[in-house]
Amino acid sequence: MAGSAPPADARRIVVWVAVPVTVALLTWTGRAAGANPPTIGFVYMVAVLALATWGGWAAGAVASVLAMLCFNFFFFLPFGTLAVEEPANWVALLSFLAASTLASRLVATARAQAEEARRRQHEVEVLYELSLGLFSVSQRSGALGEATVQVLREISAESGALFVPGPDGEPVALSTIGQEGGGDPALLERAWRSERPVEIQEAGGGFTAYLPLRLGGHFGGVLVVRGQEMASDVLEPAARLLALAVERERLLAEAAHLQAVRESDALKTALLRAVSHDLRTPLTAMRLEIESLESRLAGWPEVLASLHGLAVAQARLARRIDNLLALARLEAGLARPRPEPVPPGSLFRAGRESLAPVLARRELATRIAPGCPDLLADPALTAEILVNLLENAARATPVEAPLELAASRDPDRSGSVRLEVLDRGMGVRAGDLSSGGLGLRIATSFAEAQGGSLKLIDRPGGGTIARVILPAAPELPEETA
Amino acid sequence: MSRTVPLLLAIDDDPAIRELLARELSLAGYETLTAADGEQGRELFERHRPDLVITDLAMPRADGMTVIAAVRRIDATPVLVLSVRGEEEDKVRALDLGADDYVTKPFSLRELLARVRTQLRRSGRDAAPEVLRFPDLEIDRARRLVTQGGREVRLTPTEFSILELLAGQASRPVTLRQIIGTVWRGAPATTMDTVRVHVGSLRRKIEPDPSDPRYIGTEPWVGYRFLVEPE
Repeated sequence: MAGSAPPADARRIVVWVAVPVTVALLTWTGRAAGANPPTIGFVYMVAVLALATWGGWAAGAVASVLAMLCFNFFFFLPFGTLAVEEPANWVALLSFLAASTLASRLVATARAQAEEARRRQHEVEVLYELSLGLFSVSQRSGALGEATVQVLREISAESGALFVPGPDGEPVALSTIGQEGGGDPALLERAWRSERPVEIQEAGGGFTAYLPLRLGGHFGGVLVVRGQEMASDVLEPAARLLALAVERERLLAEAAHLQAVRESDALKTALLRAVSHDLRTPLTAMRLEIESLESRLAGWPEVLASLHGLAVAQARLARRIDNLLALARLEAGLARPRPEPVPPGSLFRAGRESLAPVLARRELATRIAPGCPDLLADPALTAEILVNLLENAARATPVEAPLELAASRDPDRSGSVRLEVLDRGMGVRAGDLSSGGLGLRIATSFAEAQGGSLKLIDRPGGGTIARVILPAAPELPEETA
Repeated sequence: MSRTVPLLLAIDDDPAIRELLARELSLAGYETLTAADGEQGRELFERHRPDLVITDLAMPRADGMTVIAAVRRIDATPVLVLSVRGEEEDKVRALDLGADDYVTKPFSLRELLARVRTQLRRSGRDAAPEVLRFPDLEIDRARRLVTQGGREVRLTPTEFSILELLAGQASRPVTLRQIIGTVWRGAPATTMDTVRVHVGSLRRKIEPDPSDPRYIGTEPWVGYRFLVEPE
């Protein structure tokens, strides 16, 4: 598009030379041919219209005046003067002037409109090409860089670049064309921070624009464009299109990521299901066999004692597997604790029932302080916490010493409940919680997953208190019938 | 029930569990049929019309849900589900679909047999009587009156409906969705939290110690179970 010399100035000179030369040439030809006034009048008119079309309204107006003067001077009596003998000729001359000026004006306006239409058409074509390029060609993610280069070429930029937010939110150049495509870092920074366009006219005639890309309040980056003769009207819509493309790129990347997460979640779920099924089926068979033997060997106390040991071990193994699978689900984000209001007594009952074989031969006391609120906890996970702690306590304490379960409002934290498992065992050993058995670690994880905590403290008079703090359910105002 | 010995149908894809169930249920005095998947289970159910169905949930070909749906299309034969911990959604779905109770693998034989007995007893009974009598609790369904130790307990209409539903299905788990469906007739604005709030206030009125419920037990992730059998 850009010529070697500034074309606008050259054209102007040619137009202003052409106006007098054309009028002079026609006058001379008319005189030489001995044309009568109506003929030369029409010829002048045609020339004025041609000059207006070509050179614009001003050229047409000057040509009208010149032609009128020459018409008068050379073709109306008395020849060689600007005087006019017959009043009718005044009318003719003035009509000629009015008609030619008006016509040149109309022609020039039409020409300007045609030019504007052409420019609009070009703009639409550029944008159409761009949108095709941005949205149909680059179906894959990562094509944004190429699309930017295309935008810059379409609008005839000499250099430019697209900056998008990097992982830390700082601008990262995605693609660059030409030298110094990135423009002035300080100006880029200004456009980036303010999210407003910055345009700079340069001494050499060109200009640089820093255009923020925004879409529905979402900031997508900054487009830097530098050039002399850019289709500047297209710049803003092009930047908007590019903002759309940036947004689309972001959504594509997000969708790909989500898809990957979903697939990996589905895989993890399937794997956990398979593991859980394959481990539980033989455990179920074992348990059924043990119970079946127990009922049939009722008359053999020494065998029954072994069977009881087997039952306790089987139950422990089953629980460990359950716990580990539950932990895996929580950690993989496949399951979330589902808190609901649950009375402490229900949890104690659940714990006692699932530890029936272990607790069969020992005393377990439960204490629920008056006014102890319900917990806001996942009942299954919380029952497992108690089961693990009770199991530890049972192993640490001689059979004749009773175990205790206690629940009360936490005196240190309002809105919390304290569940305690108390034993008369060896007390807390240093590092019990960190290096302690799997059961303690599982109990701690389950408590923490519900926004609670677990700690072991020495019990006055010997033994350990395993203290679990969990949120309390909001207390309801008394409802009346 | 015209049979002298109840006929049970046990469906599980694992041969070891299937054999054990057949053997132990027979030892406990029941006649037993077994099936290896839901499809076979459905066929046996339609041909023999057993008195109770025990079914695993995850099975190749047709799963346990198919069995429950097939049974419910025909009649109210009790269905006991063998569920797996960590797959609570399946358990709740099975109950909502019409299963009567569940045991969690690895389940205990004693627990299973107890549930079987309860279900057989329930299914032999007629519709819940006008007055439900429990130890120290009486629910008069016609007069919508609850008495405890000779004294009337004043309940709101919602609390009464919940108590009537749970007590009418004593020792059977009732899901939150079933409660919403019956008590609120499935009103769309009713949430599970709404149910829990009403159960909380019901417990404060009828439980001797609300922090250690004797009547209304919490069934983790499922709903509630009325813990006491009618007298």
